[in-house]
Amino acid sequence: MSPQVETEGLVYRLTCYFKDPIRRNTFLEKSSIYLILFFVFLVATIASPVFIKARNILNVIRLASILGVVTVGQTFVILGGGIDLSVASVMALMSILSANMMEGKNELVLPVSLFCLGVAILIGLANGLLVAKLRIPPFITTLGMLLMVQGFRFIYSGGMPKGSIPDDLRILGRDLFLRIPVATWICIAVGFISWLILSSTTLGRSIYAVGGNRRCAYLSGIKVERVQIVTYVLSSFWAGFAGLLLTGWIGVADNWLGRGYELDSIAAVVIGGSVLTGGKGSVWGSLAGALMLAILYNIVVLLGLDVEMQRIVKGLVIISAVALYRRLSVR
Amino acid sequence: MKKFIKLTTLLFLALFVSVVFIAAGSKEKAAPEKEAEEVQAVKIEKPAPGYHKPEVSTRMIDTSKYKKPAPWTIGFSNASLSNSWRVSFVAHLRYGIEELKKQGLVKNYYETNANDDPVKQIADIEDLVTKGVDLLIVSAATAEALTPAVEKVMDQGIPVITVDRNISSDKYVTFVEASSTEMGKLQAQWLAAELQGKGNVVCLPGLAGATPAEDRLAAAKKVFSQFPGIKILDVQYTSWSPVEGKRIMQTLIQKYPQIDGVWADSGLQGSGAAEAFMDAGMEVPPITGEDFNRFLKMWKKNNLTAVGVTFSVRMGYEAVQIAKKVLQGEEVPHHDVVPNLVITEENLDQYVRMDLPDDYWAESMPEVAEMLFGK
Repeated sequence: MSPQVETEGLVYRLTCYFKDPIRRNTFLEKSSIYLILFFVFLVATIASPVFIKARNILNVIRLASILGVVTVGQTFVILGGGIDLSVASVMALMSILSANMMEGKNELVLPVSLFCLGVAILIGLANGLLVAKLRIPPFITTLGMLLMVQGFRFIYSGGMPKGSIPDDLRILGRDLFLRIPVATWICIAVGFISWLILSSTTLGRSIYAVGGNRRCAYLSGIKVERVQIVTYVLSSFWAGFAGLLLTGWIGVADNWLGRGYELDSIAAVVIGGSVLTGGKGSVWGSLAGALMLAILYNIVVLLGLDVEMQRIVKGLVIISAVALYRRLSVR
Repeated sequence: MKKFIKLTTLLFLALFVSVVFIAAGSKEKAAPEKEAEEVQAVKIEKPAPGYHKPEVSTRMIDTSKYKKPAPWTIGFSNASLSNSWRVSFVAHLRYGIEELKKQGLVKNYYETNANDDPVKQIADIEDLVTKGVDLLIVSAATAEALTPAVEKVMDQGIPVITVDRNISSDKYVTFVEASSTEMGKLQAQWLAAELQGKGNVVCLPGLAGATPAEDRLAAAKKVFSQFPGIKILDVQYTSWSPVEGKRIMQTLIQKYPQIDGVWADSGLQGSGAAEAFMDAGMEVPPITGEDFNRFLKMWKKNNLTAVGVTFSVRMGYEAVQIAKKVLQGEEVPHHDVVPNLVITEENLDQYVRMDLPDDYWAESMPEVAEMLFGK
């Protein structure tokens, strides 16, 4: 067939494809977050020429990546039907522990980091056990854990964090590798691994099942409790990792590191297309949500908006994004 | 039809939001770029290093009715220990009490921490009164909520000293504080002198709505307004966080090609802001802060041009000295202001402690530093 006919045929097939309302809606639903992200990016570029400058974009994606790592963990939990409010508290704990134990020595970065991540895993395990075995609602469990970890942080540091952050940890949080922030490479790797787990392993399928309908999952033979525990462990682990990255970026022990990241990560997951009740969503959507939030944080400063206006605008954009997603989703 | 309406409503919402953004953006571009004019350099002196005590008009209070024989029982109701400044401030207060204990003047000391919860603090105060304190020191979580509780204590004949944060009425014996207004003023004066009265300045105050932050910012703006050559490019609140300071500063660096000076009321966000410049490979412009050790260490290590004006942690110790006078029946001022220490490159070496952690407050009394860090 001639190229002309072939193209016409392709166009005809595409239009038929999208004429089907269900097909059209599924496409829109799956890609809505990316469309919204692209839209926000476009508006930001038009609103401020500074936004598109290379250095600014790098700054934005670096912080988006750190939020992204937390968001990946939060995605696991929300997909499984839960929620994790303790992530910010865990991040701050990493900051206090790492500075105090590393004491500025490069050779201690790896062992102390592993220890800190171990502590994060234990916190996740505690969360998971309380939710799965004792059936305490996740909101309450993780809220309580947030407070307990905070209390521990203050007892441990006596209110005055000690120690300092070695240069090697700062490389992870702050520097570039092949012109792209190290944190971004890490976030992409984390996202890829998580996507693989969720899409191609039994564990992943089980998480979706448990989040979608716990009773059905249980009756299908899925070890619901085990799956729930795993999601909380993963969430705390990635939050801990993000905490180390952010500590590396800022270079100081801060009892309030990551403040707001729990709400930001939940917002990112929901913007990204996951349903708060669980069972539906994707890692890449959540990461796109995190990037959108980071862009928002950047653009409100670039536009010189008053701090009150900043809050209003952020809330408005988040609500609009989720409302638009709902509208475009398959009924 | 309904679905169509809903969809269009949403599209309009999205359109509205984007228009707001673009409008805000173009408003920035439309504002004419006022060049820093060639002005007669207004003569301004940099504040001298050392202590500056602001003028405070106040009345003296007769405390003879509070005179009590030693040893005393003193109670302290603290708002919170949520940051290292507060920890240091309370450590100074405790050190003052220890001194009095050694002199046999204090036999019991009770301290409560309300975790920033005013309701808990009211309960804490009632507990302290029940324990039979001869004098109450209070750092109020919020002014309004704590006023009735403090007034009730005064009505019972127990003297109250408010420190660091005040209540909204006048019913207390003495309010001990350091002047935030003076602090912001001295920082701005140093910066204006350093810039010789002209240049582009970025302001990074602390927590939006908190009185210390607002007072310091207002004082700084007042100083800068005396210099037509100084242009305030932007004011961004940072919640006194190093993370926020760095994030906001790195965005502002991209936005403004020429930043000649940074006014920050604290080295907490100031240290973050300085790092943002260094990360961007730029020279750090003249920058203000206080006695946060991380800020001083960075200043020393990187040879920055900076000034530190303190919000003295020693006010805790001062509150105890006033308490002693009150219980001995001596006259005390109703408003006691602790001087601000100005740290410049001349006396930096006296205060920076490279061997101590970032969260050390460099104006601390050496005895208290010893108590906290063992060195």
